[in-house]
Amino acid sequence: MAGLELLSDQGYRLDGRKPSELRKVQARMGVFTQADGSAYIEQGNTKALAVVYGPHEVRGSRSKALHDRAVINCQYSMATFSTAERKRRPHGDRKSSEMSLHLKQTFEAAVLTSLYPRSQIDIFVKILQSDGGNYSACVNAATLAVIDAGIPMRDYVCACSAGFVENTAVVDLCHAEESGGGTVMSLALLPRGGQVALVQMDARLHQDHLDALMEAAMTACRSLGQVLDGVVRQHLQEVSVLTAE
Amino acid sequence: MAAVQVCEAEKVYIMHGVRDDLRVDGRGCEDYRHMEIETDVVSNTDGSARVKLGYTDVLVGIKAEIGKPKPAAPDEGYLEFFVDCSANATPEFEGRGGEELGSELSCTLYKVFNNVNSLELRALCIAPREHCWVLYVDVLLLQCDGNLFDAISIAIKAALFNTRIPKVTITEGEEGGAELELSDDPYDCVRLNVENVPCIVTLCKIGHRHVVDATLQEKACSVAGLLVSVTHKGTITCVRKVGGGSLEPESIFEMTETGKRVGKALHAPLMKLLRDEEAQGKQRQKVGFLG
Amino acid sequence: MAAGLMRLPVFRKQETVSESNEKHLVVPGDVITSDTGFMRGHGTYMDEEKLTASVAGEVERVNKLICVRPLKTRFYGEVGDVVVGRITEVQQKRWKVETNSRLDSVLLLSSVNLPGGELRRRCAEDELAMRDYLQEGDLINAEVQSVFSDGALSLHTRSLKYGKLGQGVLVQVSPSLVKRQKTHFHNLPCGASIILGNNGYIWLYPTPGQQDEEAGGFHTSMEPVSLPDREVISRLRNCILALATHKVMLYDTSVLYCYESSRPHEIKDLLKPEVMEEVVMITRQRLVEQAG
Repeated sequence: MAGLELLSDQGYRLDGRKPSELRKVQARMGVFTQADGSAYIEQGNTKALAVVYGPHEVRGSRSKALHDRAVINCQYSMATFSTAERKRRPHGDRKSSEMSLHLKQTFEAAVLTSLYPRSQIDIFVKILQSDGGNYSACVNAATLAVIDAGIPMRDYVCACSAGFVENTAVVDLCHAEESGGGTVMSLALLPRGGQVALVQMDARLHQDHLDALMEAAMTACRSLGQVLDGVVRQHLQEVSVLTAE
Repeated sequence: MAAVQVCEAEKVYIMHGVRDDLRVDGRGCEDYRHMEIETDVVSNTDGSARVKLGYTDVLVGIKAEIGKPKPAAPDEGYLEFFVDCSANATPEFEGRGGEELGSELSCTLYKVFNNVNSLELRALCIAPREHCWVLYVDVLLLQCDGNLFDAISIAIKAALFNTRIPKVTITEGEEGGAELELSDDPYDCVRLNVENVPCIVTLCKIGHRHVVDATLQEKACSVAGLLVSVTHKGTITCVRKVGGGSLEPESIFEMTETGKRVGKALHAPLMKLLRDEEAQGKQRQKVGFLG
Repeated sequence: MAAGLMRLPVFRKQETVSESNEKHLVVPGDVITSDTGFMRGHGTYMDEEKLTASVAGEVERVNKLICVRPLKTRFYGEVGDVVVGRITEVQQKRWKVETNSRLDSVLLLSSVNLPGGELRRRCAEDELAMRDYLQEGDLINAEVQSVFSDGALSLHTRSLKYGKLGQGVLVQVSPSLVKRQKTHFHNLPCGASIILGNNGYIWLYPTPGQQDEEAGGFHTSMEPVSLPDREVISRLRNCILALATHKVMLYDTSVLYCYESSRPHEIKDLLKPEVMEEVVMITRQRLVEQAG
């Protein structure tokens, strides 16, 4: 396609990053006081807010409750001002429902739901600014929020997007790179065990490149995992200093 | 509104407190809670603001787009409101739960803000009958602890102050139609005059007295309330009764007087704060959600 | 007035680590030990013979039991805990009580005191008259009698100090901030009484008068509370919120010290962040002096 050169001759991307370089990540836990857990994350220009309520009694229809584990209820929505073109509805469209389902699957793999029979855990994610990597920002923010709420998890869940441009795997795609028409893969990983919680790919990709792409995505997830780890440990230090008797 | 349950004994305690002008958190009947305001928190909007009033947290983003003027007012632009009661605030707003409250809030905001007395709508006109600026005001509710209207109106005023609309030049196109050229320079923009933008004051009737800035518990004790929008001169632009109960005419008069007094006093500190924030410019580090 | 209360937000102050903390802090996925001699408690799970943490918090070792206490969590009830809760539902022969735990707690009809202190079997009329005793929205304070297999708590109010609560103020904080003590009922010398529920719900009420009220009864006084008592209660409420915001453990001494250090300020000024910080700092210093 004319115009946009996603990868320059020297190997630099549109925003000056190298192919395996992540965008700047800043995060904070405990942003809101009324919810059980909350977190905010910025990955480059993508900003996401996650809020967790629970575990609590199943509201609404009792039939939804499972007798041996907790129900995880996710909702993904975008602020109407988050995209360059104003969105008319924050959620309820097909894309949001699909994302909500993906989030639910991802967290059912990581949260130890068997400890909370008959209860419900709500995870609500809001995208405040969208610049590519929406799913990964949501998963990372939700991980921090679940840890903030004190809900037991097997491991962190870190997610990253990856793509294939000119035979090179690039990670953490921004919006321009995602809509460039190439392959986009989203991967959610539990770093310590190396287990993949969710993998999803759009567009065509030659079988030979799959391994390289997955490897690049997994490495990026691990680096992200370290960043999230740093944020959680810092938060722990801050709060434990305050509660010192 | 996301409601909390309050038992009879708590209601009696709150009512007696209001009667003695000492509310549960020590405030008087006309005192506001601690308020924090910050503008320019969302980068890809033309104007934005975040207001925290007690635990109530509201984020407003304004996007300006070019549209066609309404037939009834060909030489004016207009505002469109959308209130998103997100599930972040309370699980009851999940799915379609927050739609009812959202549309109620949007309708009221429309009445209060979208008229010539509040904002210079003529300044939003580009070419009469052809093109005008439409300001899409999107309100996002992040946390709900009573008194949504006041917080939203202050956030809207702050966001409008922060809004920068690019300058437009009209040139003759190829087939004779007008072509609009938007200035690329981020500093070459039009600011809005927000002097006359009103602030909403919600008054809740509890017992025989009324309170300003009610928390959710106090709201559960009140049967009816009054919404008054007041400009900086003390002019009342809109009055609306809210709640399921009924009000006596004398109460309405008293509440309107209180609303006028309290509302008028909100504008000066708000404008001063906004101007101070702007004067600090780049030196001030944006707090946003990372603070 | 609104004038003094509008301001720009500021960054939260980062508390510096003054002395090297000996606390063992872990995050989910951290291996605590590979030694198989330990029993695992809350906040941990076994991952291929290795004891791994599942929440972010501090490791607590009690003899052979290792558990991880998270910073913030819903209430984990244990037998004997004192809780303050709100009735959410009236069902057949029992009430459902919301206590900030992962499932609503249960208050059986057979676990409450009948008015007048009667001791008899519950009959069908009692079932129908349940709403006369406790309705949806009422506040009660009760003790945890037992824990069901799915984790729901069974409460009882079979003692004169428990029962329906009257006029007062409820403050909600995180359960991990309420210190476990011998007694959770305190009549503070400043003129109000406090119930520190283990579930993070704290009830402030005017100290009952000299005449002996049967606190286990279901009659609540609707007489207006006097203004000085109200001021004490409002001040205590703001102090407790200030302590909770700065994550100070709540017990009678800390609340009292905070109340005393807040005397120079007006009650509504305690809502401002800088005043809160100042008051909490003075309280901390006094607590450290008292401990040392």
